[in-house]
Amino acid sequence: MKNITLPMSKDTARALQLGDMVTVSGLMFTGRSRFHIRAIEKNIFPPLDYQAINCFFHVGPVMRDTSAGWEVVSCEPTSSIRFERYGADVVRRFQLRTLIGKTTMGAGTAQALQEVGGVYLSKIGLSGNALRDQITKVRQVFFLEELGKTEATWVYEVDHFGPFFVAIDAHGNNYFEQLAADVSRALPGIERDLGIPVDYAFTNVNPDSSANM
Amino acid sequence: MILRSTLEEAMYTAMRTASVQMPPDIRAALEKAAKEETDPMAQRHLAVSLQNADLARAGKGLVCADTGFPLFFVQAGARTTIEGGFEAIYQAAAAATARATEECFLRPTMVDPLRRSNPGNNLGPGMPKVELTFSGDGDGLRLTAAPKGGGSEIFGTFYNMLFPSDGVAGIKKFVLESIMNSCYAGKICPPAIIGVGIGGTADLCMSMAKKAALLRRVGAHHPDPLVAELEQELLDASRRLGIGPMGSRGINAVLAVNIETAVTHTAALPVAFNAQCLVGRRWTAIITADQNITYTGDVA
Repeated sequence: MKNITLPMSKDTARALQLGDMVTVSGLMFTGRSRFHIRAIEKNIFPPLDYQAINCFFHVGPVMRDTSAGWEVVSCEPTSSIRFERYGADVVRRFQLRTLIGKTTMGAGTAQALQEVGGVYLSKIGLSGNALRDQITKVRQVFFLEELGKTEATWVYEVDHFGPFFVAIDAHGNNYFEQLAADVSRALPGIERDLGIPVDYAFTNVNPDSSANM
Repeated sequence: MILRSTLEEAMYTAMRTASVQMPPDIRAALEKAAKEETDPMAQRHLAVSLQNADLARAGKGLVCADTGFPLFFVQAGARTTIEGGFEAIYQAAAAATARATEECFLRPTMVDPLRRSNPGNNLGPGMPKVELTFSGDGDGLRLTAAPKGGGSEIFGTFYNMLFPSDGVAGIKKFVLESIMNSCYAGKICPPAIIGVGIGGTADLCMSMAKKAALLRRVGAHHPDPLVAELEQELLDASRRLGIGPMGSRGINAVLAVNIETAVTHTAALPVAFNAQCLVGRRWTAIITADQNITYTGDVA
């Protein structure tokens, strides 16, 4: 399996294809909803060298404070699609070439990734415990007091972290959108066999104009 | 009489165990699904998830790091008495949740909905959520702890007030579309258990859907043959969508469709949908009046 050194280069990103499984090694920072909202709406974000720490990991890890420092208990990638409102702005602002998370992102983020030459990597199964062991160092934490352990930004050093698969490539293609198109094609036959009429519509008790909203 | 300390111990241990141990029926269902899938990505999603559960069971982490909403389902008998009265159930649930969070078996995930402030212990108005029901004439208590993940709850909750003229076709269309949408890109972490409530009021309908998803053994059907047939029909239909584990190309988007019903208004046909994710976290404690506690991952 291909291991990619972070920060990912444009050439590496552009060579990746949908469905490719990869691991990554290097530095990454974490964030969830609060990171996105604060960075874009309030211009508040950790003072990192985003050229060097260029991989954004969507996660709210379980962290334990020990006498030897912070320890990761488990870290399961969180659903990235929730951040779509801010996804493209965050990719452009920090020129991100690697996003890692769960699910996928929308057309706006895919467009921004295409512009900067980046990819979105989605998780394979639940692997929060294996991923924990691939985090070699918890380097820093930001906004812990304000946001708590789950929404804080952590900086991790990782080694052969993953695997993940390419769900959005650097050319604007989305693995899950292609799959959903196939599901849509299967649907009419399934509905027919369930006895759902082709022109079935739920009873609308609201003004007709609201049905088109 | 059940002592407050017994209750707290049972609630803590059930919650802690739910967070690190996959119930046996869920595991068996995932292993069966793994044998059915042919797409390499679908197979890998399941193999990795089962390995992750093995690590958690060995004391190396959690079955999933999003321990989600702390829920307790408590069933008392007609002769059950509790030290401090039934109010003690809520106090014990809060203490058990705080302790499990402190010890990192639960992630501090519950926040104020408007301020977004996080007290760090998963406590606050409404949480942990305790649902109390009464059944039988016993003097013991049966409780199930279910840390319910965000993915399945946030992306896998739908409600639709249908009308009698919308018919069974409407129920089927609503459930099928909900499965398709919630499984897109693995949002609810499939293979999911789909709970469906039909009837009642809006809140009863959703409560039935949630309990159907969380508390029924995988593979068990509703005792009413009419309902059981609808469950099987919807499960079979879901397997033809072409969606597999974590939204990949495959067969097993859904492990089970579990329906519960309640009588409803003659003008109404309410339907609720609530999903449980592939780890299906729940663990049960059975407490006797003489403070004996037994734990089980099985469902009655």
